[in-house]
Amino acid sequence: MGDLLVFVLSGLVSGALYALLATGLVLSYSASGLFNFAHGATAYLCALTFYELHSGLGWPAVPAALLVVFVLAPGLGWALDRLMFRRLARVGETAQIVATIGLLVALPAAGLWAVELLADAGAPVKPAENQFGLPGVGPSPAVSWQLADGVGIDSDQLITWVVTALVAVALWVLMRHTRLGLRLRAAVDNRSLTELRGISADRLSSVAWMIASGLAGLAGVLATPLLGLSAHDFTLFLFVSATAAVIGRFASVPLAFAGGLGLGVLQNLVAGYASFAEDITGLRTAVPFLILFGGLLVLTRRARTAGTSAVDAPPVDHLAGASWLRRWGGWAAGAVLLGTAFYTVATPFWSGLLAQGLAIALVFMSFTVVTGLGAMVSLAQAAFVTGAALVAGLLMSRGWPFVAALAVGTCVAALLGALVALPALRLGGRSLALATLALAFLADQVLFQLRWLRNGDAGWSIPRPVFGPVDLSDDRALGVALVVLVAAVAAGLSALRNSPSGRAMLAVRSAPAAAMASGVSVLRTKLLMFTLSAGLAGFGGVLYASYNTRITATDFTAMTGLVWLAVVVAAGVRRPQYAVVAGLVFAVAPRLLADYVTESAHLPVILFGLAGLALANDPDGYCAAVPVRWARRRAAGTGRVGAKRADGVARADGAGQADGVARADEAERAGGVARAGGPADRAAAAPAGRTGPTGISAVPRPGPGPGSGAPVPGPRPVSATAEARPALELRAVTAGYDGGLVLHGVDLVVRRGEILAVLGPNGAGKSTACKVAAGLLPAGGGSVFVAGRDATRDGPVRRSRAGVLLAPEGRGIFPALTIEENLALYLRDADARTAVYDRFPRLGERRGVAAGSLSGGEQQMLALAPLLQRPPEVLIADEPSLGLAPRVVEEVYALLTELRGAGTALLLVEEKAAGILGVADTVAYLSQGRVSWCGPRAEVEAGRLTEAYLGMAT
Amino acid sequence: MLRSIRTLAAAAAALALVSACNSAATPDKAPPGTSGDSRGVTADSIKVGGIVSMTTASGYSKKDTDLGAKARYLRANAEGGVNGRKIDYLGAEDDGQDPAKNMAAARKLVQQDKVFAVSPMSSVTFSGADFLEQEKVPTFGWGTLPSFCGPKYIYGFNGCLVPSPGGTLNQTWPEGIGQVLGGAAGKSVAVIANDSDAGKFGIRTFQQGFASAGFTVSYAKASVPATAVPSDWSAYVKEIMQSNGGKAPDAVVSVMQTPNNIGLFTALKRAGYKGLISDPTDYDPGLLAKEATKQALDGVHVLLQFEPFESDNPKMTQFKADIKAAAGGQDVPLNMHMVTGYMSADLFLSIARKAGKDLTVESFQAAAQGFSDTGTLVGDRAEPKGQKDSFGCGALVQLKDGAYKVSVPFKCHEPIPFS
Repeated sequence: MGDLLVFVLSGLVSGALYALLATGLVLSYSASGLFNFAHGATAYLCALTFYELHSGLGWPAVPAALLVVFVLAPGLGWALDRLMFRRLARVGETAQIVATIGLLVALPAAGLWAVELLADAGAPVKPAENQFGLPGVGPSPAVSWQLADGVGIDSDQLITWVVTALVAVALWVLMRHTRLGLRLRAAVDNRSLTELRGISADRLSSVAWMIASGLAGLAGVLATPLLGLSAHDFTLFLFVSATAAVIGRFASVPLAFAGGLGLGVLQNLVAGYASFAEDITGLRTAVPFLILFGGLLVLTRRARTAGTSAVDAPPVDHLAGASWLRRWGGWAAGAVLLGTAFYTVATPFWSGLLAQGLAIALVFMSFTVVTGLGAMVSLAQAAFVTGAALVAGLLMSRGWPFVAALAVGTCVAALLGALVALPALRLGGRSLALATLALAFLADQVLFQLRWLRNGDAGWSIPRPVFGPVDLSDDRALGVALVVLVAAVAAGLSALRNSPSGRAMLAVRSAPAAAMASGVSVLRTKLLMFTLSAGLAGFGGVLYASYNTRITATDFTAMTGLVWLAVVVAAGVRRPQYAVVAGLVFAVAPRLLADYVTESAHLPVILFGLAGLALANDPDGYCAAVPVRWARRRAAGTGRVGAKRADGVARADGAGQADGVARADEAERAGGVARAGGPADRAAAAPAGRTGPTGISAVPRPGPGPGSGAPVPGPRPVSATAEARPALELRAVTAGYDGGLVLHGVDLVVRRGEILAVLGPNGAGKSTACKVAAGLLPAGGGSVFVAGRDATRDGPVRRSRAGVLLAPEGRGIFPALTIEENLALYLRDADARTAVYDRFPRLGERRGVAAGSLSGGEQQMLALAPLLQRPPEVLIADEPSLGLAPRVVEEVYALLTELRGAGTALLLVEEKAAGILGVADTVAYLSQGRVSWCGPRAEVEAGRLTEAYLGMAT
Repeated sequence: MLRSIRTLAAAAAALALVSACNSAATPDKAPPGTSGDSRGVTADSIKVGGIVSMTTASGYSKKDTDLGAKARYLRANAEGGVNGRKIDYLGAEDDGQDPAKNMAAARKLVQQDKVFAVSPMSSVTFSGADFLEQEKVPTFGWGTLPSFCGPKYIYGFNGCLVPSPGGTLNQTWPEGIGQVLGGAAGKSVAVIANDSDAGKFGIRTFQQGFASAGFTVSYAKASVPATAVPSDWSAYVKEIMQSNGGKAPDAVVSVMQTPNNIGLFTALKRAGYKGLISDPTDYDPGLLAKEATKQALDGVHVLLQFEPFESDNPKMTQFKADIKAAAGGQDVPLNMHMVTGYMSADLFLSIARKAGKDLTVESFQAAAQGFSDTGTLVGDRAEPKGQKDSFGCGALVQLKDGAYKVSVPFKCHEPIPFS
């Protein structure tokens, strides 16, 4: 029993650190949707700063710790958020993961470099290497107390517990009892709705990153006596605490916190009682990663069909349809030049370096399959490389010929890949990345510890092969052979991409459900991609090992795999030839930097890490960015953008969309021309607008404008009183999504105290119009006026602050917040909330209940009720009656009518006309992205309705 | 599909072309060694490079190895060089504990800088070993890796420290501890290592070494997680404390790195352990600078395989003077990495001196065969014995009241066969 108590008590020490790190992970994840692999590096940097302040500059411990935790760490978080994370939130998951992996190596290097520079400048800093037994905040050495027989604690442990408990309480108070906490939780719950409520999610993101970094800093300071100054250990610690973040499902701070504590205890119990593990070397070492892997499998349920990231829209392929020569000529010439260089200009040293780059390029091309084609982030590639090379070495030591050993090694790697893929079939995104990372560590710590496989520290010799007269032990011959192999693999991968299997892979990547419906087996396709990629990594691995002429189990660790991925993605992961560039850069760049730029070993690492910053701008890597930017500049130069793009633009992964893009462009241009032409042109342009669905036409402009010919309800704008000035006006708005335009020039006007009902069939663009009006979606053309002011460029936050409120489709509530909290976000005044409860006793009775548990009608009431207390200038409601019982719909309309009475301008979008016609003042029909009719309710005719819905032209 | 077949055909053709190029090129290619005989050697200088792990992500650095080597070469040059040739020491390349960088550094030194020898080479990885061996580059360093055992051109400064079955085991540690305890007979010892293949191998060698010195090995486990330092040692301590038939063993021997040792030893002492504690890594006067390490390691006997800094051997006095001179006249805290660099350089210089005026790789290798001397800071040296076995010398120092004191003086012991 005493043992158990000890295990639990001391397990709580690492548990507390896990909890602090995991809480930071969850906060930053919910703020900007990215898993921060560099969180441990932040903690390390803070530990280093604390050490230098305390031991180097001689500051007392407590002020040094306070400065780090409350000023420096939050400052770092703020700066990184502004520079990087905020922009990364808008790019694909792969780029996000890789950018923070870059930081993972760059931050410690930056810290060490700073220490080096300071030391050179004569500052009294201490070297950061070989430092053990570092003091923490408490006395050093730690004072220990014996509580009972065999149960003791020391001052460092006590400090960790007390501080963590204080942080838990402080976080609870912050999140539950402050306005900032309420907003943070709202942003976690529904980021875009937060913006619609006029709360800047960007600012909240900054705050969340500052808190997260502060927590990392705290963990760093507290962990200094335990972990010392090893960036590596801090990062491992972080990976373990990721388990706790998984327990909190990346959303719940309390769950993650508790998970962290539990994890520490569990780990200790396993270490204490796992005598069964003694026979398997490395099993105890691997316990945290077993827990991480198990946790991911058990706890990740939501992203079942994921493994893909829809945000990863492919870049425009400017060479689509170009001749083979234009597409491949440059690359082929490069390959020939490289091959010739080996026997002409390259010195032996450079031959070796280039051969090394080509060998690693083979490994890098495996990322093109799994991450480029499959959009799955695999961090286990290094394990495939090691596995294949060890097996090949083992066989060659038994006298197998090189080619046979290579083949078997490749197959073993492919098999390992299939094994790793099994969890991949149910995980996706960051969960998959973490799971593969955990498996890579497991392979390092258990599989590659098998003595018969690794042959101790000596490893296996892999002599370079000799085929008849070709002796590859000459670097030049190896180099040329690798050029040929690399070219063959690149061609093979390109052929694969264009084959039915490749199209199936792309289909699975972009829409698994749709792919399944088209008869593509998602399961088999993913398994195939992983297997193929692992096999390729193994193939490259054996060749790389034969370049080195030896493989040892520690040559390519899980951490190496992380760095590899970052290098490849920085160059571009979608095409095999980019991976070759990445391999060559990886081999050559450090040498060039050392020869011509700096002797410091830190600077190249920092530069490499900063590639993450570049990814925020060019998420597809520098190789892909070059042609895109070049094409863009050329297009700008010719001045014939529209025409150029109309025939040249095609989407890399969906040639079918080319038509849509070109059309959109044409329409936009045409729309612009029509507008520029002024009212005189309109009459001429309008009939053209009805020519058909091709969209290559001008925009019709019927609507409540003078001279449009349509009947205009209410007072005319010319009367120019404040009352009559439109509260919200959309003028010739075009807008759409990546795939093409949805709105082809929409004009809508809403005035104070007026209800404008917008009707139209599915897909007419009603929701899109709402989003543009609320600022959620930028208008492609045309303008949006709020109270007469041009607000076209305003985002949702500024629109909302100007009084334009959107009640989005579905329910405009925060389901995880209570009713009281939902109301408090809009009504800060408690009296106003009481008034709401007086009016809606049902809400009052259940004010402490999570809003998500209310019925649909109650949720809609909750969304609209607070508006009565503080009527907005404009309310845009997207299908407020959707899915509600008729009686409830009546109530909702009554509420809306009441709002109109209070002076609010209402823009209501409905699919079903019946109810809304009873309350609307003006009605507009939207079909195919245009207002086909607009007029007072009284003039609405059944025929027009039918026309609006069926899209029949009169 | 058709295109890929065409590509493959093209690839095959290209490969055939390569073979033609290659067979044409092979005669031109200077076979390594013939022209490399006196690579890096001029009438008045010998070019030497080094490879050392300096910057690392683990916080462990061997960078003072470079200073140690520099100190030794400075003195050699001050004394007129080796047979009239000055040593042109290029300084050490930093491999950052990265196998790829280790290889790149070896290639750069040989192909770009054209060094005659690499000394020192001290890292946790030595992937450049095969290349250096193939290019016939005499290389000297800390023989903790298998590459120092076997290859013809690679030498450990105090021998090969990785015992291989059929070779021998260095008995300094068991003999020394036996001496401190007043005889090994009837004494029990617990050996603990990290949970990895290397840890398991360490357990195997020391289990045999201690047993054949007369100890009862009551506990021998590679059980401590190898990556992150445990925050809690109670499970291990409890097991050790009861391993000797329910009692604590007479000695606890840790084959782990400093951060682990600090945790384990602190926990052992808190649990009331009064016996002897020993490890082979914590001989670093830098550890005395911090109260926490000073307390954690107090009383610990540390094994070292060179003459302790506390010794009054005149060679040690010379070493300290050389280091001070190389550090620009400043008193820098001494550590074992300096000895690694210094003695790697020293072994290279001694063999080069023996090779005589006509220095080539061949004459150097010939001089190494049958090289031996005695009474150095690492004891009695002999090649090629040192390419198979450790020189078998060592000492124990005890950290007591904030200072290291020699508890078992430096001495060479008879190794035992390892099975």
